Amino acid sequence: MKLSISKRLAAMFAVASFVMLAVLSVAMHGLLKRELERHQSNELQARWTMYKPIIMRNDDVEHWEYVRTKFDNSISENNRVSLWVQSNDSRFLYGSSLTDEQRHMIGTRGFGQAMLPGHDAPLKTYSAEVEARGERPAVLLTVGIDSKPFVETLRAFTVGLIALTVVGALGAAGLGYYIARVGMRPLDRLSGEARGLSPGHLSRRLQTDTLAPELSELADSFNGALSRLETAYQQLEAFNADVAHELRTPLGNLIGQTQVTLSRERSVTELKEALHSNLEDLERLRAIVNDMLFLARADRGERAPNRVEVSIAQEVSHAVEYLEFIFEEAGVKVRIEGDAQASIETSLFRRAVTNLLQNAVQHAPRGAEIVVFVLQQPGAIRVSVQNTGSGIAREHLSRLFDRFYRVDSSRSGSRENHGLGLAIVRAVATMHGGTVFAESESGATTIGFTVAA
Amino acid sequence: MKVLIVEDEPKTADYLERGLREQGYVVDVARDGLDGKHMALEYEYDVIVLDVMLPGTDGFSVLHALRERRQTPVIMLTARDRVDDRVRGLREGADDYLVKPFSFLELVARLQALTRRSRGQEAMQLRIADLQIDLLARKAWRNGQRLDLTAKEFALLAALARRKGEILSKTTIAELVWDVNFDSDTNVVEVAVKRLRSKLDDPFKPTLLHTVRGMGYVLEVRDEQSEDA
Ligand SMILES: Nc1ncnc2c1ncn2[C@@H]1O[C@H](COP(=O)(O)OP(=O)(O)OP(=O)(O)O)[C@@H](O)[C@H]1O
Ligand SMILES: [Mg+2]
Repeated sequence: MKLSISKRLAAMFAVASFVMLAVLSVAMHGLLKRELERHQSNELQARWTMYKPIIMRNDDVEHWEYVRTKFDNSISENNRVSLWVQSNDSRFLYGSSLTDEQRHMIGTRGFGQAMLPGHDAPLKTYSAEVEARGERPAVLLTVGIDSKPFVETLRAFTVGLIALTVVGALGAAGLGYYIARVGMRPLDRLSGEARGLSPGHLSRRLQTDTLAPELSELADSFNGALSRLETAYQQLEAFNADVAHELRTPLGNLIGQTQVTLSRERSVTELKEALHSNLEDLERLRAIVNDMLFLARADRGERAPNRVEVSIAQEVSHAVEYLEFIFEEAGVKVRIEGDAQASIETSLFRRAVTNLLQNAVQHAPRGAEIVVFVLQQPGAIRVSVQNTGSGIAREHLSRLFDRFYRVDSSRSGSRENHGLGLAIVRAVATMHGGTVFAESESGATTIGFTVAA
Repeated sequence: MKVLIVEDEPKTADYLERGLREQGYVVDVARDGLDGKHMALEYEYDVIVLDVMLPGTDGFSVLHALRERRQTPVIMLTARDRVDDRVRGLREGADDYLVKPFSFLELVARLQALTRRSRGQEAMQLRIADLQIDLLARKAWRNGQRLDLTAKEFALLAALARRKGEILSKTTIAELVWDVNFDSDTNVVEVAVKRLRSKLDDPFKPTLLHTVRGMGYVLEVRDEQSEDA
């Protein structure tokens, strides 16, 4: 079962105050007990000193009767008090008979205690010797007082302390619960606000200016997540629009062409021609869809799964070899500079390099040289393709890697260029934990990507 | 060559059936997973084309059941370009996979690769009309005259000649000649074909290397009338 924070806090308050009150009570109880005992001892000693002269003054058998009467009176006046006189001479005795055990408990000197029949609290005693005088030998005078009032006081006090502890703990729990609820109120408000968020109001954020510092941090992180979601959502929407737009041209061609073809009787050659043309458009659609699916993989955060440790320059030269005929046709040369070892998925890597080389050859003038730089950097390997040519205006550089983005927008929907080449380069870089970059200065364009070392 | 197609999408199943039949295959079609599993286990096929997403039982469980009893080659068709699907398919014993949308030619090429694997040794000498190819010495002649081909041009010619009469898509050619196993929209193959043509066909008759628009290229002897423009 999950307890609410308020309830949990209340329980913690209760436990804490219970422990505190309990410790306090035990201490107070101890203190009181000690005080009461000291009080008892003082009283015992005072009474002993009061009774001693009575024995002292009477030192023969005749006067012993007087002592007895005096003691009897004293006891009947104050029934809390008991008195004993013990001695070896049976003529000088006083008090009820004692069992051996009681005698042992009382002892011969100082304080002791004994249980007497008919009492529910023990009898506290003080004993001391009264020295011999005349006919009377040395006797042991024991004063006892009933401890019942003390015991009762202590008990009442203990009950009071326990009650106080329990009630205090419960009170603390209740108070704690209330305080926690009050403290939680901003959280309730926050969750109310969060409930109000919906895809329809993507730009809405949680209010943080009135929040306590602890909560505003949470709300800030939450708002950060919202911002990222909003961006992703907007990208997705733009993406859908892009795809629809790109697919519209070939789809339109297909429908129109097929309708025109079917609107008349056609020769087999004409029908074949129409089908071939359709097939070209369809292949283009397939290529776009496959590329989109590939880009979606990278968007999902997928990493290149089948990596091997290879020489980057060698992989680049594979891509160069593949495009060799194209370079020859265009009359450009390619040079590779530098090398590094890295763990990459070769087919993805070659695809990225092929795209870069293809762009370079499309934009390089005849007779130019394309240079591929492979650079080992801390934590990453940088692969860039440089070509001379008319260059790219600054405002396009940052958007170059967006899908379907072309510098010359009139080429959009063109048969040859889908505007996905660099988007795929970026996807490949992302799948290898890298990034992309593009710069164009004084007629030299350098575009490339990094892979994590 | 007998092939089983397990595919629930009716249009896909129909064109695959017709296309493969015309390629000379004997074709059976199962339209859901249960039928597919039953047929794959009960009858003998040379190769099975298996869709992953099927009603009844999915492609993986059909494959699983099949592999417990038989080693028939299987090509999986996955609709989602998800690596885990592919990895899972290959791990559970599929021999190859294609991601939808795929081209029919691609499928034919893969089917042939799979069934050829078991066919064993190939001839080292090929002959088409007056074209003669020595695969071992990597040399070619037409009309007794040695053709001066670069390494890649020869590789292209050999790839086409080995599959004489079959249309090879650009993707397949790029894979066979340059070992490129990704979709690329370069016109490398077109340029290479143009170059090969200038040495193979321009000086000689009849024309052997033909373009099939939107599909690819084929090496064969055709009667001149039916030729494409
Ligand atoms: N080396 C370069 N020099 C000048 N401009 C370039 C260079 N590389 C890319 N560009 C510009 O960047 C744009 C985006 O390139 P990208 O490769 O993404 O698309 P594309 O080449 O138009 O199409 P695709 O590569 O899909 O066939 C292109 O339109 C091109 O104008
Ligand atoms: Mg490009």
